[in-house]
Amino acid sequence: MTLAPSLTGTVNPASARLENVCKFYGEFQALKDISLVIPPGKVTCLIGPSGSGKSTLLRCINFLEEYDRGGIWIDDRLIGYETVGGRRMGGRALREMRRDIGMVFQQFNLWPHMTALQNVAEGLERVKGIPRARAHEIASEALAKVGLGDKTGNHPSRLSGGQQQRVAIARAVAMQPRIMLFDEPTSALDPELVGEVLGVMKQLAAEGMTMVVVTHEMGFAAHVADRVVFMERGELVAQGSPAEIFQNPGDRRLAAFLQGYLERNSLEL
Amino acid sequence: MFSFQTIIDNLPVLAASARYTLLISGAGCFLGLIFGALICVAAVSRASAARAFAGVYVSFFRGVPLLIQLLLAFYLLPLVGVNVPALAAAIFTVGLCAAAYISEILRGALNAIPRGQAEAAMAVGLAPRDIWTRILLPQALKISMPALVNELILLVKASSLVTVVGIVEITRMSQAIASATYRPLEIYLTAAFLYLAINLVIAALGRNLERRLAW
Repeated sequence: MTLAPSLTGTVNPASARLENVCKFYGEFQALKDISLVIPPGKVTCLIGPSGSGKSTLLRCINFLEEYDRGGIWIDDRLIGYETVGGRRMGGRALREMRRDIGMVFQQFNLWPHMTALQNVAEGLERVKGIPRARAHEIASEALAKVGLGDKTGNHPSRLSGGQQQRVAIARAVAMQPRIMLFDEPTSALDPELVGEVLGVMKQLAAEGMTMVVVTHEMGFAAHVADRVVFMERGELVAQGSPAEIFQNPGDRRLAAFLQGYLERNSLEL
Repeated sequence: MFSFQTIIDNLPVLAASARYTLLISGAGCFLGLIFGALICVAAVSRASAARAFAGVYVSFFRGVPLLIQLLLAFYLLPLVGVNVPALAAAIFTVGLCAAAYISEILRGALNAIPRGQAEAAMAVGLAPRDIWTRILLPQALKISMPALVNELILLVKASSLVTVVGIVEITRMSQAIASATYRPLEIYLTAAFLYLAINLVIAALGRNLERRLAW
């Protein structure tokens, strides 16, 4: 797959800061006092067993999931609430903040009634107010950059999983976000299609996009991430560089998680 | 003796009265779609007042016979100073009634749309209005197309009720001709054939639309 030199053009990557974030589902506490700094222009991978809260945490960053306590700042602006513990932020202000935050989902969530081109152009037209012709130009360039220049007229049902996920990445990237959230972007893909999606993500990373990636791809976390964060049962258990996390897992639960991963993956062979 | 001549002689007049049947069911369905979409949005809204309104609306228009609704509209509207032609009042009432059913059809279809569809739209930054008109309702319409075609066919048949406010559509016209010609069997068979023809065309158009909406 050949990619054009730049996916994003010039962006000014954002940082994010989470302080004492808590999330409850009724009695169940899904996130327990999570504090974390997402450095600008770096790749932060969230790993951990299913149900550990990593997707919930990711979805709190663009407030798709409402956190109940603590605060999340994109650069220095609190998202979701007017003040920490205060009133909910208005819809308009929240949408304005979300323009800076791109998101890619496990199930792609492309709009099935629109072509690949329309999927990418929709936000450009409706959110950024770019005239249709120009929006279609930008969308078509964005699709070319993820290697789908010849698929612009296809509906999602006429694309493979890997192609759909690349359209979804183009849809997010075309909005020129300053931070990108990936929620298990390759978990729904057939194994042979994982590589093309990771390839696009690696290129984004190389261009200095701030990325937060929930993933089960330990190879990606080990080789592409700048920071790796391990979560279990709603707690942030360990964080560090990939070397610190993978080669020298001090924490017992982290070591057990990695051991389990290695065993499963050697069994698959 | 069965008289084909009666059928041939009266077909043009009966067919001409079908324009009221088509107008009332067609315009009623169109209004029903618009009002139904609004009621559906209210029914799933976060605002409890909107949900309550939708609940009462659906209960009333689904719970009271259309015949009674038409009579109420016919006698009530002039009392409160609204003087509209019977035809307009009939179309409006049929539309309001259809909206109750259509809103429930759409609500069911909405539940079939994965949550991720709206989430992706919110993540891109689309406003609620765009999420509804660009993402959710188009998909809900497609999902509910078979049920909506069903509803339109029901409306074509229910439109015979507007005779109570003096509109002469197929059913009323066939009654009139039957009593004038003393040929009820031939006339009602013709009316049945007309309804059947209309509904077969609607069903065929519906299937065609469904095919074109496949994506």
